[in-house]
Formats: sequence, structure tokens, C-alpha cells
Amino acid sequence: MDYKSGVCNFCGTGCGNYLNIQDGKVSGVFSSRNHPVSKGRLCVRGWHFHELLMTDHRISSPMIKVDGNFKNVSYDEAISFMMEKMAKYSSDASESTAFLASPRSSNENNYLFAKLARSVFKTNNITLDSESGHRSSMNVLGEGAGFPGMTGSLEDISKTKFILIVGSDITKMNPIIGSEIHKAQMAGTKVVTISSRVTQIARLSNVHLQIKPGSKRSLLAALAKAVIDTDQLDTDFVTASTDGYDGFASSVNRFNMADVLSLTGIDSDTIKQIAGELCSAESAMAFWSTGISGLDQDTVSYIYNLLLFAGKIGKENCGANPITGICNLQGGYDMGTAPDLLTGFQKLSDADAAAKFEKSWGVKLNKDSGKDLYKMLADKNSKLKCLVAADHDEGIIKYSKEIEALEFVVYFGTFENPFMKFADVVFPIAGVIEDEGTYTNTERRVQLSRKRVEPFENVMPGWKLFPMIAAKASLTWKYSSAEDVFKEITSLTPSYSGMTYEKIEKSFGLQWPCNDKYPEGCKRLDGASIGRKFKFAPVTENFTIHSATADYPILLIASQGQHFWHQNNIMKKTYIPKREYNATLLVYPKGYIEICKEDADKLQVREHWNVKIVSSHGSMIVAVKISEDVKAGTAYVPYFIREMISSFLLEHNQEFDKGEDTIIPIRIERI
Amino acid sequence: MYLIEKNNVMKLAEELAKSYSLYGPVTDKETKQVFFNKVASASEISLTAEIPSIPPKTVVFPQIERILEYKYDKGSKKVEMNADFDTSSKALFGIRPCDLTGILVLDRFFMGLEFVDDVYLEHRKRMFIVSNTCTVPFKQCFCVCTDSGPVAEEGYDLNLTDLGDVYLVEAGSDKGREFAEKMGLQKAGPEHTLEKKNAVDKSISLFEKLATDNKAWISRVMNRVTTGFIKEEVWEHIGKQCFECGACTFVCPTCSCFNVEDHNKFSGSTDRLRTWDSCSFEGYTKMAGDHNPRHPVEDRRNKRFFCKLSYSQSKKYLRPGCVGCGRCQWVCPGDIGLPNVVTYIRREITE
Repeated sequence: MDYKSGVCNFCGTGCGNYLNIQDGKVSGVFSSRNHPVSKGRLCVRGWHFHELLMTDHRISSPMIKVDGNFKNVSYDEAISFMMEKMAKYSSDASESTAFLASPRSSNENNYLFAKLARSVFKTNNITLDSESGHRSSMNVLGEGAGFPGMTGSLEDISKTKFILIVGSDITKMNPIIGSEIHKAQMAGTKVVTISSRVTQIARLSNVHLQIKPGSKRSLLAALAKAVIDTDQLDTDFVTASTDGYDGFASSVNRFNMADVLSLTGIDSDTIKQIAGELCSAESAMAFWSTGISGLDQDTVSYIYNLLLFAGKIGKENCGANPITGICNLQGGYDMGTAPDLLTGFQKLSDADAAAKFEKSWGVKLNKDSGKDLYKMLADKNSKLKCLVAADHDEGIIKYSKEIEALEFVVYFGTFENPFMKFADVVFPIAGVIEDEGTYTNTERRVQLSRKRVEPFENVMPGWKLFPMIAAKASLTWKYSSAEDVFKEITSLTPSYSGMTYEKIEKSFGLQWPCNDKYPEGCKRLDGASIGRKFKFAPVTENFTIHSATADYPILLIASQGQHFWHQNNIMKKTYIPKREYNATLLVYPKGYIEICKEDADKLQVREHWNVKIVSSHGSMIVAVKISEDVKAGTAYVPYFIREMISSFLLEHNQEFDKGEDTIIPIRIERI
Repeated sequence: MYLIEKNNVMKLAEELAKSYSLYGPVTDKETKQVFFNKVASASEISLTAEIPSIPPKTVVFPQIERILEYKYDKGSKKVEMNADFDTSSKALFGIRPCDLTGILVLDRFFMGLEFVDDVYLEHRKRMFIVSNTCTVPFKQCFCVCTDSGPVAEEGYDLNLTDLGDVYLVEAGSDKGREFAEKMGLQKAGPEHTLEKKNAVDKSISLFEKLATDNKAWISRVMNRVTTGFIKEEVWEHIGKQCFECGACTFVCPTCSCFNVEDHNKFSGSTDRLRTWDSCSFEGYTKMAGDHNPRHPVEDRRNKRFFCKLSYSQSKKYLRPGCVGCGRCQWVCPGDIGLPNVVTYIRREITE
């Protein structure tokens, strides 16, 4: 039979699929009916996965840049060139050298990438790309519940009684999770969505709280306040199972309920009613997106604390559920691609953990936490000279000028993409289904993607390539397959210690922790078993929101969309999703701004007219799209045009880093 | 009409495999999902497997297929073209009546009109079809409501019906009759015709429990769709649940929309590919200057249901566009598989 089971490789949902492989080539995809997450469904991206896998826009050979042009060379030449150039930074590696890992790389490749950084190049400056919101969520859940991952399970969505969605455009970003929520709603689960724009999930919810831009935190604080005011606190749970209630309660009590309507646009009666329903529901889950469209740590802390108030953490069919936008964003952290982490969220500063790695790797590790690459690039006094990056398939290249100015850049990747032009040496790496590899989805499910075809133009898999580099530094890494790498990971990672390829494959993946205590993996965080109390997360009491001014009367919000997922380096390599993107591009070559009819009338502009968007930092010209999805005083841009991103949005770097809470006060001028 | 013992029935497939590429229902060992796919050996095929998750339309209309290969030589400014597509002879063994009906609908689309599609014709030209009567319906089935089962009426070379210890083998073409004769099959008598009728009647009676209110309303709903009496709100209710994934069209045995793309290969030549497409995609109906006759998602959705359920469309296919297989219900991230749409419209009619 031509259909071979596999895992979708786009977003963090981790849907099951089948690939049709004929004569060693991919020629189709089909959905997996028995897969516990996707149950026979795929989204528009998943249904066209085969088109991406068929692309010939691939890196086919190692290359080095000679006089500004790439020249194909052998692996050996490329590695020698790289080692020679990087030798001069070795004395000062913790200042001069940084690694940029990818949430699209497999666990095995991310692990080796981090091992290369720490043991060969002696730097802890390792950053996982597109991650802003996810690390915040991991921090909150790790410190609060001792569980740095989704505390619930996607399979439990159909069983929970109350779902709160904070901000995420989930039917576009992670459509199959959106579908699961929709089906739960149809079956009687109460679904409440908080967002400033009417999204599809907002339309499919029982209640949509269309808040003013930037007021999520205020709304969450108001919900928490309402829990106290209406005496609905799960006192038994809070007393017996949590620490730090007083701190959070005093912050919340400082929220003035009289301000709620003016701050958020939602009246206090509605808020009291929702709070009551959340508390009295038998079970509840909250969802929010992480990654580049994620929330800040403070907002995530409010969500988590609110669930603690309602007694909805660590119980059946409950969960604080961050949603990853990219296939292995969770796995990237699990593999320790962060300045301060080893695998499985073990801390580099933990002497026992570090000693274990030193023994296994046969090297001395630098225990000082490294630096975040983007902070180094932003720092004018940084001594950063050299960057090693992997699988950077994002259309947005933040700090591109600073990267261009670096002395030496190495790139490892599967697909051709705009990041390559910064590189001095490029290594191709075998892609998904050309090599074995595990990927950890948003609910901690580690799934195995089997090798189904031979690598494009015989490019090397990671487990062969990275040891060749280590060998040049006289280190012996012995692997004869990706599975060998995985065995090393499980031997060093308590939360992965019970996993093997065989076990993972038999069960559509295993959810970590999977160890002696949970031999078959762990569906959800069990409050009874954590061995300590839940801690309330520290929060700020900053409820100020961006307000419009006379000069900039409209608040602009920005987000991604379905077909322009991750700014399209990946989507552009398909046919149908690319056609869909082009259909939008054809009509709006410069992008569009959504405003409501009322604002359009006030500005005296019509559909398709070009207008000038002016902020305190700059301006851009885009077309008007009149929409019922935004309220007066709010405008929305989906970012999918490179110029729009680089010449306007990135000028608001600090704002843009806030992901979903990017809010830019603007005015719209007729031209 | 002929008979063959149950334990010999696969000999028919083995014999066909000598002159045809053999296709049939296969169960994936790891996940138990059933596919209709090419097999290396007749022994992989299961006649008792549930209705395949993927319709056999993939054999005649694959998800992605090369219809032409060309190479442009910049120096001589010449193009070398090669109409290189699949011309193998194929046998479909154990196709279910609904799926066979689906292929007959596709025949009308690709070959029944003024323009005959060569690539499709090649798949169909030398095809041998052995259909398999459904003596027990599967739980999502409603072919009795769409006149496409549980027994095939036309389009097969041989039709098998499970009569307990034996299969009744009916020939539907000269090619089928010759094959049965060549295999030396025992002749069946009138008592077997009666047994088949009983088996089919029993199967139909089992639908009652499955085809609860929604499915039985299909003809009423067709009338309603054709006359256009359905309220906007109903279409909106359906449209807002559409995730625009295209799955319903991909798994539909009768959906025929396609797109043509050129795939530039690393080797320097180009494959012209035909790929599946869907009316649920915005780019599918978009025209120059942002004109889109079906801009809102509900318009694109109801286009699909017009295609499946309206009389004007049915005239083209000489039957309804839906064959009652229920696959769209399996794969829909919303709740708007065709049976559910029928339910929504029924609710409107009855309220």
C-alpha cells in the first residue's frame, strides 16, 4: 500500500496523517481517522503538506560564500571553512557567538544543535526562534504548577464544561483545536472568547467579549475580582492546594470594578456572570496562543491565577493550555534550546543536572546562563560577531540589519529561504520524512515521524552532519541513526526517560512526563501527584491601556492569517495555499487595513482605496477593507507583506514583540 | 449469473492481477484505517473491510498527477513536450456501490460532455471493475436516500454479493462475462437471484436505524435547494462553521474540481500537474479586480450543496451529486458534512 502514517509538520497541533508514497516520491496526503488529536481531520495546510514535501526549492549542497556568491563545496570543505573561521571567536565565545535554533527542527536535531553550541563552541547563547510568548507560558506554568507545558489535554476538550479562549484566532492558527472546541460547544460546553476582533471562533462561541485593544489583562483581573466579590472562590481548593493567594488577591482587589467598562468595553454584570459560570462549571479550560503571536507573561499569569481561583488546575478535564503555533515549539524548549536550560527544563545552573551532561558529553560546561540572541542584537554595545542558525523559515527576519553586519553567519536548513543571504556558509539538512525524528506537539505529545523517502540530492541528516562538525573539534559523537540520538536524550531527560521509538509509534505518541511513574505518558497534570502546592504567579497591577489620542485616534492591532502562515516561506512552496495567498495579494498588493463602516464614513474613504497609516514611528500605505469584525476606533492589519512588516511594523519593535498584544496608535490619512 | 465459493473469491483478483494493476480495499496494519489503494498482491485486499476512508476516485483522479512534462532549452528556444501520463490498465476489486456511482458521475464530467479529458480517459479505458454489494450498511451510510446502493445497478464488469458460503457473481458487461466464463465459474440459478434480493432487502431494512430523520429528508431538501426557498440565515449558520479546509471536496467520490500547476524540477524540466481543488477556497472563484461571485464563505459553501443537491446540477450527472457515503461528515472540522446540512435545512422546513 502507498499510504504511510505520519505526523503533520505545520502547526503545534500535531495532527496525524498519511502520506502517499509512490516510487520513492510523495504524491498525496490523507487524514488519519484513528489519531487521538485529529480524528480524521486536517486543515487547509495539512491537506497540502505533500505539496510542500514535493518542492524542489531546496538547499541541495553545502555552500560557502565567495565574493558575495555561493559556491557548492563538499561537506568536508564547508566544515573546515566553518571551523577555521569560528576558531577566532572561541576565546570569547560567550560574548561573540550565538546560536538560533528552530521550532521547526526535530527534537533530535535541536538536541544536537544545542549540544554543538555548548560542547563544541562553548557558548550558552542559544535562542529558540519565534518563541516570545511560549517561554513566558512555560515560566508561569513551570513555577506555578511545576509543569512547564499544557496542563490539560486536547483529547479532554470534548469533555470539559467551560472553555475560555484568550485572544487567539484559533480556527486559523490551529484549526483542528478550533474544530475540537467548536464540536464541544455544539455538544453543550460553554465557550467564551476574549478578543478585540470578531474572529471565526468568536462567532462560534456562546459569548464573545469584544474588548478594547490591549485590555485583556484588565478583563482577566476583573473576572478574578468578580470571583472574590461574588464569593465564588473555590476556598477549599485554594486553602488546601495553593500558596500565594494573598498576594494575588491584593493585586486583584486593587482593580476598581467601576473602571471596567471604560477600560475594557465590557460591563461588570457580564463579567460577574462569566466569572460565576467559570467557577460553577464542573471543569474548565483556558486556551491562549504562544509563539510570535503570544501573550506576555503578566497576562498568562492572570489566566493561570484565575483558573486557580476557580479550582480548575490539576483536575480532570481541566487545563491551562498554551497553544503552540509551530510543530516543535514545545520540543525546542524540551531539548534545552534556551540560554539557561538543559533538556526537559533542567536548569543549567543545577549542578547535578550539569554534571550529568558533562559526564555524558565528555566535556566541561560553562554553567553561566547565556544571553538571548535578540537582546544581543538589540544591544548597541554587544560583542556578538558570529551566528549559527537553523531552519529559519520565517518571512520576518527581525534585526536583519544587525545580522547582516555580523562577521560570520552559518546556516543549516532544508528549504531555500531569505535568511540564507546572510550566511557565509550554508549546510543542507535532510527534511522531515527524509530522516526519522520526533516532534512534541502543544499538549506535550511526542510523536515519531518516520523516514519515508530518501533525502533530496543525498543531503545529510542531522545525526550524521553534526557529529562531523564535532569530530573536527576532536569530539567523538557516536550515532548511527536519529534513534540513537533519541536514546541519549531519554537517558538525560527525566520527563522523556520512559520513551522509545517503538513505544511512541505504537500509541500515536506519548505525552510527557513519561517515566517510571507514568510509563504510558501523562494525559494531564494531576494535582494530587505534584507533591507540593500550586503557587499563584506574581502579577503586576498595571491596568493602563493604550489610549487613542487626538493625533493618533485609532488603535491598530496586527495578526497573522491562515494562508499567510508564518509569513509564507513555507506556504509559498505549495500550490493551493500559495494560490489562496496570491488571491489576497492580487487584490491587496500592499496589504490591507480593516476598519469599520463608521470609521470609513468618518474618514470619507471607500473599500480598496489606498490610505496612509501614520504612527509616531513611521507610515505605510495600504488599502482599506471595510469590515464588521472591528469596532469603531480599532483597525486591524494581517501582516503578510514583507514591506509592511519591515518598513512599518518592525519599526515598532518593542510593541511588535508583544505578539498578540501589539497595539500601535495610528491615524489614517486620505491620499 | 455465476457462483464462487467464498474461499475462492480472491482467485478472481489474482487472475485480474496478471493483466491489470490491481486496486482494492486495504487495511493499514498499524492504525486499522482502510484505504482504497494499489496492492502488490491480491491477498492484501479485504472484501469485508469497512468503506475505505479514501474514495476510489483517487485511481481515476489522483490528488496530484502529471499530465505533461516539458523542457525549455534557452539556447535553441525550443520546447520539448512529452505527454507522459499514467496509461496502465487497472482493475478495481471490491469497490462499494456508492463509490462506483461516484466514478460514473466523474465519467459524466470528464468524458460525457463536449470535451473529453484524455488523461481521465486513459485511466478508464481499459478498466475492469468488480463491485461488492453492501449486505450490511456502515454506520455513516445513506446511499438508499441518494439512489446509489446498497447494490450496484450499473457500471461494473462483475458484481459480487455475499450469500453466506458463496458469492453471487453477476456480469455487467461482455468483458465481465468472458472473464467469468474463462474462470470456469459455476452457473447460478433463480433461487440465488431470490437470495440476493433478500440480502439486499435486509440490508435496506437496516438503514432505517441509521438513516434517522436527517438522511431520509434528502429528496425534500433537494426540492428546497432547487427552488431556492432556503433562508439566508440557514446558509449563514452553515457558512460560519466552514473552516475552509477543502476536506469535504477531497473525500467526495463525485467532486471533480481541479487546478493546474507547473512544477519546476531541480533537474531543469517541468511537470505540469493536475491537483485537487475545492469550491470552498476563496482563490478558486476569485476573478481579476477582486470580483468574486462567491465572496462570503457561506456563498462558497452553499455552492457546494447546490452542486450536490440541486435539480439543475443533477441533470448534468443524470443523478444527485451526492452518493450517500458519509465521508464528508468524518472529515469536517465544522459540523457541516452533507447529512448535517440536510438536518439544518430540514429544521428550517419543519419549523
